[in-house]
Amino acid sequence: MTTATATTVHTRTHTATYLAEVILGTIGDLLADLGIGASRLYRDWDQDEAAIKQWIEEESLDTVVLECRQPSGKVAPVVEFPVSYTAYGLGDAAFTAQRAKLARYRAKLASVPTGTTFGLVCTFRKSRTPMPGWSPTTRASTAGLRSTNFGVLASAPHASTSMRVLT
Amino acid sequence: MQRRREVAAAPERTTSETSETISDLTRDSLARAETIDLTDVDGALAKARPAFLALIAGGYLDTHSLVLVAGALHLSITTVSGDWALTLEENLAAVPGAASAPDWTLYLPAPDPLGPMVTKVAESHRNLSVGEPPAETASADAASSLVDLDALARRES
Repeated sequence: MTTATATTVHTRTHTATYLAEVILGTIGDLLADLGIGASRLYRDWDQDEAAIKQWIEEESLDTVVLECRQPSGKVAPVVEFPVSYTAYGLGDAAFTAQRAKLARYRAKLASVPTGTTFGLVCTFRKSRTPMPGWSPTTRASTAGLRSTNFGVLASAPHASTSMRVLT
Repeated sequence: MQRRREVAAAPERTTSETSETISDLTRDSLARAETIDLTDVDGALAKARPAFLALIAGGYLDTHSLVLVAGALHLSITTVSGDWALTLEENLAAVPGAASAPDWTLYLPAPDPLGPMVTKVAESHRNLSVGEPPAETASADAASSLVDLDALARRES
């Protein structure tokens, strides 16, 4: 009798690839829902994806922030994607994303004025590898905005990301 | 020739890599056509890239197919994400059926909330569409359309 077994190795690269996709995909969905032009998101996709993936893999990334900049100067909504890391990886953890829950949540978002643009900002928990297209900046103030927690957006063996919306 | 291809997406591939894989599969399948200009194919795929990225990263291609139609070729392409992507046995070989096709169309799904964005992409090139793809022909019909009936007739005479 012969037996066979298959083993799938989950690496930090897999975790970083998966979470980078879910975060950027969610940003694309949010911009579409809000009616904000996203051509720049797709034009710069390769460099942004590479940066977020690299920073998750090296565990330097703290939070990806989507800032919606209204013509009046107001910055809202602000959507935060904090990343949490698991020290040694969870061998039996699955790659999961809460896409159905996200679709229901997005339907409740208020629209923004015509001419609203967006920016992506990343914050860090330790020193990071410099990546093309990214330079130091400061976050817009979120004073006066009300925070709503979506909860965990996506999980992977070595890390997970949540979503928090400030309006 | 109706075929389906599943492409492993994240975490096996990044969104950019998955988009490139789908473009390569489309191009390779159309490369067999005698009258289709591959420069035109490359132009259409470049225009379609933002839609590919949005549809892949949002997980929409896991449940909505891209459909490539060219003559007897009817190819549905979907992605597999998450745990299953790591164990998927892929077949990314070019699909036959386009050899004598005079023209081709790549039908893009336009699920909510990406409908307006994907529609705008489709309107940017004549070989892209968000319309309903033609129904798949029955397997027997598709297979018979690949047979050169004139050659058979000559052989029998």
